[in-house]
Amino acid sequence: MEALLATYLKPLVMTAVIILLFPLIAGYITLAERKVLADFQVRLGLMRVGPYGFLQPIADAVKLLLKEDIVPSAADRWIFWLAPVLSTVTALTAFSVLPLGPNLQVADVNIGLLVILSLSSVGILGTILGGWASNSHYSLLGSLRSAAQMVSYEVAMGFAIVSGLMVAGTLSMQGIVKAQFDRQIWFAFSNYGLMFIPFVTYSIAAVAETNRAPFDLPEAESELVAGFHTEYSGFRWALYFLAEYANMFVVSSIAVTLFLGGWLRPFANIEALRHPLDFAFPAGLFGLIGVGCAIGMRRRTVAVDKGIMAVLAMAMLGAAAAFLVPMINAAIIGPFWFLFKVSVILYCFIWYRGTFPRFRYDQLMRVGWKYMIPIGMGALIVNGLVLLKAR
Amino acid sequence: MKKFLRAVFLVDLIEGLWVTFRNQKPSLIYTEQYPAERPKVAERYRGAPRLNINPDNGETLCIACNLCALACPERLIVVTSERNEETRRKELTTFTYDTSRCMFCGLCEDACPVDALELTQDFELATYTREGQIWDRQMLEEGPRPTQYTH
Repeated sequence: MEALLATYLKPLVMTAVIILLFPLIAGYITLAERKVLADFQVRLGLMRVGPYGFLQPIADAVKLLLKEDIVPSAADRWIFWLAPVLSTVTALTAFSVLPLGPNLQVADVNIGLLVILSLSSVGILGTILGGWASNSHYSLLGSLRSAAQMVSYEVAMGFAIVSGLMVAGTLSMQGIVKAQFDRQIWFAFSNYGLMFIPFVTYSIAAVAETNRAPFDLPEAESELVAGFHTEYSGFRWALYFLAEYANMFVVSSIAVTLFLGGWLRPFANIEALRHPLDFAFPAGLFGLIGVGCAIGMRRRTVAVDKGIMAVLAMAMLGAAAAFLVPMINAAIIGPFWFLFKVSVILYCFIWYRGTFPRFRYDQLMRVGWKYMIPIGMGALIVNGLVLLKAR
Repeated sequence: MKKFLRAVFLVDLIEGLWVTFRNQKPSLIYTEQYPAERPKVAERYRGAPRLNINPDNGETLCIACNLCALACPERLIVVTSERNEETRRKELTTFTYDTSRCMFCGLCEDACPVDALELTQDFELATYTREGQIWDRQMLEEGPRPTQYTH
């Protein structure tokens, strides 16, 4: 009975939680994105719905769900329906192998990384089919661009990942994290620092792979209206949107797992750093956010806003307190570090978007084929030789 | 060589990232939440016109000399007056000011010998009709009454 629960119930519950929770998380990632972009552009950003725009994602979700469902008359109805579903399903399926914590994973399969790579390849199909089925010039151009871009950058990304796998010696996501614990180093810094090159290659290719700025040519709004999802609106568009943010989360998770130590804390082998990093750091972080919320609460004038900010401040201070209880801490410190690292990478995604102008199409291809792939290949060979020598 | 190394280590990109990063300070935020938060207008800003009244007796300061109307490059001020036979002085009857044609050059307030006509710091001049842009004496003296919105 116990074994049955562990084999079936836990993965099922986790799957349900991820599917139910991730749309909300994606909504709040967009809120963070809009706020951070506003910061970069020295403006305020969302301020109207809830305190500091805190309830905006919910308002957006309601709007998207209530919108009229429009299918262009010349569209291929079935494929038009299928494409966003395909994108979302593949993106969310990839979550099943992400190691959120030591015991927090839907399935620790021994080909974990390969599953994610193959799923992301299928996910491209959603983009291409969506653009094609819309029967619109802009959509078709967007999807053609996305096909070319994703195919070329997947190669560079593959090379970077293979470099990481060579060092790890396993495809299982938990195995990769454990290998970093045994090797006492994050793989981004291993091999005498040579692994940093694949890490950078992967970071750039991942941005291109998720169609984010400065590689957002498939949906370049100044050229192609909205690219492959020009004809999509309402709930179908929300699915594409969800898929994009899920993909961002997944590629960030791969970067974290493969190069940045997964759910391990920094310097996981130094026992002296256990208390400052596992207890003081998260408690301090959430405490600071809580105090920030409390200060924000005092600045608001509307009673409802004050209430929401008060609840937020209490929740954050509660989380800070929870990290100080050893038993709870043991359960949540792994996910904390994993999600913390993922958030840092997601912040970088937004940071790139706020900084770099979009590439021209030929520049994109040149960066992909003339720089990323040779560098990835070279890094693979050099790292392989160094590993061989070390053995 | 230096250029090559800059390109290899993506120095320019990192410099760009640093520029955006250091601009995140909340103190640099330039926008304001307009209806809730009023912008500070410069002291010498020339906005909505006002016809000052004497605070002691409530009578207008205007002596109907018509100098503002003559000074106006757009000829948008019309002053009418009639002679009071008792005091033998000109008294203002109507004063119209067409803000739709006004360029807020301030020549009228400069021309005014008694500081009756003044361009204030009020900048909310939008109306629903063209006729609403033409201000009569009452509006000039009491200020425009904007529609009150509730939301």
